[in-house]
Amino acid sequence: MKIKKKKEDLPLPQILNLDDDFSLIKRFIEGDESTFNILVQRHKEKVRNIIYLTLGNHDQVDDIAQEVFLTVYKNLNNFRFESQFTTWLYRITVNKCKDYLRKIKIRNIFTPIKDSESELGYNPHSEDSDIKEIVHNAISKLPDKLRIPLMLKDIEGLSYQEIAESIQCEIGTVKSRIFRAREGLRNLLKPYERELLL
Amino acid sequence: MKRFYNKKYELLSAYIDNELSEEDVKKLEEELKFSKDLQKKLAELKKLKQITISSINPIQENPFFETRLAATLRIKNPWYLRLKKYSPVFGIIALSIIIMVVLKYNPSLIDKVVEQQKSNITAFYKQNLKPLLFAADLTNEDIFDFAFYHRLPLNYQKKQFLQLGSDKNGNQFFEIKSAGLANNSNHLANFIKGLNLNEKQQKQLDSILTSHVPELQSQVLVNDKNTVAINPNIWNYNKALTADLISFAANVNKNNFQKIIPPDFEKLYNAKAIAQILKDVKSTKSNKYIFFTPDSIFSDQYSFNQDEFNKEMQIWSKEMQKNMQEYSKQFSNFNFRFGEGFAKLKRDSSWDRNFEVFIDSNICRVHIPKVEIPQMNLPDMDGLNINLDSLTNYLRSFSFHFPPHNNGKNYKYFYSDSSKGFHFKAYGFDSTFTFGNPKTDSILKNRFKNFGFRMNPDSLASVFKIFLGDSTNFNHQQDMQKQMKEFERQMEMFQKEMEQMQKELKKNVPQKQTKKSVEI
Repeated sequence: MKIKKKKEDLPLPQILNLDDDFSLIKRFIEGDESTFNILVQRHKEKVRNIIYLTLGNHDQVDDIAQEVFLTVYKNLNNFRFESQFTTWLYRITVNKCKDYLRKIKIRNIFTPIKDSESELGYNPHSEDSDIKEIVHNAISKLPDKLRIPLMLKDIEGLSYQEIAESIQCEIGTVKSRIFRAREGLRNLLKPYERELLL
Repeated sequence: MKRFYNKKYELLSAYIDNELSEEDVKKLEEELKFSKDLQKKLAELKKLKQITISSINPIQENPFFETRLAATLRIKNPWYLRLKKYSPVFGIIALSIIIMVVLKYNPSLIDKVVEQQKSNITAFYKQNLKPLLFAADLTNEDIFDFAFYHRLPLNYQKKQFLQLGSDKNGNQFFEIKSAGLANNSNHLANFIKGLNLNEKQQKQLDSILTSHVPELQSQVLVNDKNTVAINPNIWNYNKALTADLISFAANVNKNNFQKIIPPDFEKLYNAKAIAQILKDVKSTKSNKYIFFTPDSIFSDQYSFNQDEFNKEMQIWSKEMQKNMQEYSKQFSNFNFRFGEGFAKLKRDSSWDRNFEVFIDSNICRVHIPKVEIPQMNLPDMDGLNINLDSLTNYLRSFSFHFPPHNNGKNYKYFYSDSSKGFHFKAYGFDSTFTFGNPKTDSILKNRFKNFGFRMNPDSLASVFKIFLGDSTNFNHQQDMQKQMKEFERQMEMFQKEMEQMQKELKKNVPQKQTKKSVEI
């Protein structure tokens, strides 16, 4: 089955004006560092959201977002203008999140007693847990490789194509992982079928 | 079946994400109409997507994000690191300053470096230089041509020549040109004929020419790196050699000598003056050579060791005896190549501004206005070759051809001076000649008039009468006498043959008749 490419996802003809990302990058490369601030202002919320959705908590969002933009600042001179700036930016963001999650996992090996808020707070039979929290906890239980594409699709509204470029895999894989994420979520939420009206 | 449904469910997942093509959407919607299971799954997936979206609270904006980022950038990227991208510029400026300082305290540094490079190149081209006479195997004819025509063959096959000359301004030049442009006439032989030299005098002339070989040997050197090294003193040697030959000519045959030498050169007749010139030239040693290479033209000091070369010659002569072919390959195969380097040479002639280079397809001329030729008080002998040419104009070779059994009684006469061979036919020995072309008569008469002969076509016995009014033609007297004797001998033989044939004919006629009568 062919995956449809949405019209809005197709690369639009590049109209170089002073405000588009490419023009800002070119000016940055030429020495106008003020353009970097514009890029940060333009994309910081999207980056922070992706980090938040990927990690599942607020704590490290700003720290990782800072790291993302520092990496962008260092490497912007080497930007090759072969893909959208956002694609490159999201890829850096996802990779930073993956690095962070990898570090957390390694840390957890040496600290077996789990005291994280999400783990402790998650109790499917607790009476005061509302629906949002149940779903949020269920999402956080999903493996990274399923949760990240699901969040990028449902919350950030990226296309399969953009997700594939960000996490560096095939579109078919993205489609499969999103479906599997939804199936996993359904299984996790099975005890709450009535509440959720599933 | 389950896998099938999984695939269908996966499509439903992509369907609610609006990621299917129109064709797939149509197919799926058709199937949805008839499948309650698919409808149920679609509703479930839509609900899951809805609760997923609703479960996530939007993250609060951080108003200090940019400020914090700017602070981090300042810490992680201080001013001195930001200047890093300008490091090439700083490097160039620093290098320039260093060079300026070094040159201020050592201004001759660049000259030294250039001189060092030049000396490296010159050392390369100076390797294995050998005398041209050795490489080209020059004959006495070549040395004679050098004296009067300033030309020396560069290689054994004589495919290239080195030509010396001077332009209108009196500046010397030399050029390397192909053999096709050189005049290959037999000048030495004509010179000998012109002066009517006997065998002893010819030997004397040969010894004069050979005596100049050792000096000439060291004047033009060549090597396997396509280098020609010319000593500027060669122009003086050329004049000395010419003066020596003129002196010799004046001694052996003063009358004929005056025909070929203009009066301006009378002072050269003085044997003492000639001896002094030769002494001056031989005593003036110059180690400065002009090196003509594919990469550059330059003048530099070079000391040619004649003794060492003679020793090498002795060794090589032994080697030569062993393997003649190898010898000819190694040492006699010099051929100056007009390659791609010459275009470069023309452009880079500023390498040494003492030279002006003019390059054609097969000629390379080098003017040397600023190179010092050892100064000597020698007369200008550049006009001499013109007089020698005028002498050789008279020294035309001609020959008679008598077919040994010519029953047609036709005799051909060839006169080689003209591009057309004139010929006439003789009908009978005692009858008058009939010329094939009426014009030939006058042409021959005029030609021979210039030559000092008078033609009398009345009888074969007195075809040519020789008038020795011009003393330069005395050699032709001998030649003509020899040819006339040969001609008479041929005629006598022919007469005898004819007489014999007549006798045989007389004898045969009655015999045939006898035979016929017998047959009857």
